[in-house]
Amino acid sequence: MKIRLQHKMKFEEANRLIERYYEGLTSGEEEKKLQQFLAQPGLPERYEPEQALLGYFNHKKEKKHISLIPYKRWASTAAVVVLVLVGSQVFFIQNQRNYAYVDGKKITNVHEIKSQALASLSDIALSTDEVEEGFKNINDNELVEQQLDVFSGLEK
Amino acid sequence: MPALHAQNDLQISKVFEQYGEKKGVVMVELTNEMLDGYDFSLFKSLTIKDNPSAADFIRRCMLKDEVGAKKVKQVVTNGTPTSIYLQLPRKGQLYRLILFNETFHPEHKITLIYIESKNDSEDVLKLILKKK
Repeated sequence: MKIRLQHKMKFEEANRLIERYYEGLTSGEEEKKLQQFLAQPGLPERYEPEQALLGYFNHKKEKKHISLIPYKRWASTAAVVVLVLVGSQVFFIQNQRNYAYVDGKKITNVHEIKSQALASLSDIALSTDEVEEGFKNINDNELVEQQLDVFSGLEK
Repeated sequence: MPALHAQNDLQISKVFEQYGEKKGVVMVELTNEMLDGYDFSLFKSLTIKDNPSAADFIRRCMLKDEVGAKKVKQVVTNGTPTSIYLQLPRKGQLYRLILFNETFHPEHKITLIYIESKNDSEDVLKLILKKK
């Protein structure tokens, strides 16, 4: 009964507030009162449009706050784990790809591998040197004379 | 060997596979390493001693690989190419070179090098030949 009386009292006031609300005359405090009124259970059906209109705000207020902090913590931990795994994998692959085989024996020491690589590069560079030197040593006149000698031999 | 490098489509990759781990052979593979001023994405070399048939095999492989490539240098000794430098067509961002050399004195020695670099292969070659 008490509740009913409270409603009855408030219905009049609520109706007045609703009218003022639609006219755009309500103050912040009045809107708050109206929201509180409309949030009550067991209100007559005629208040449904206003409940839908103003209840939205209530619902929004009641919306459960989901903290992202634990998820963020998990995500950052997972990211670190993934990074470490990927990083070690890359390092492992990288190391695997730097190697040398000497007489079938695998070498993974980078300095030794590099010195073997430089040795093979120097083989190529030196061979070019030898060819160039060889060309320099050939005396053009001598070569021509040798070739002419072949023909002079034919005349005899 | 995983197919990570542009070298896998070449015939010379078979040479590395076949001779790389044999006796009398030195095989090197370096990836993304600075090597005495050279900036190679991939460096592979093979040094084979006293194995003339390996030299013939390399020459046969290079005959196929030189299709579409630029022959920068070839030295023929007694009718046989003993020195071949090939500038291969670029693969993506990579310039590629194959260098082959065969010497007979003081011993029979074959050197085969495959290089991938982001630097122009002509510059790479100049740098190699400059560092005698």
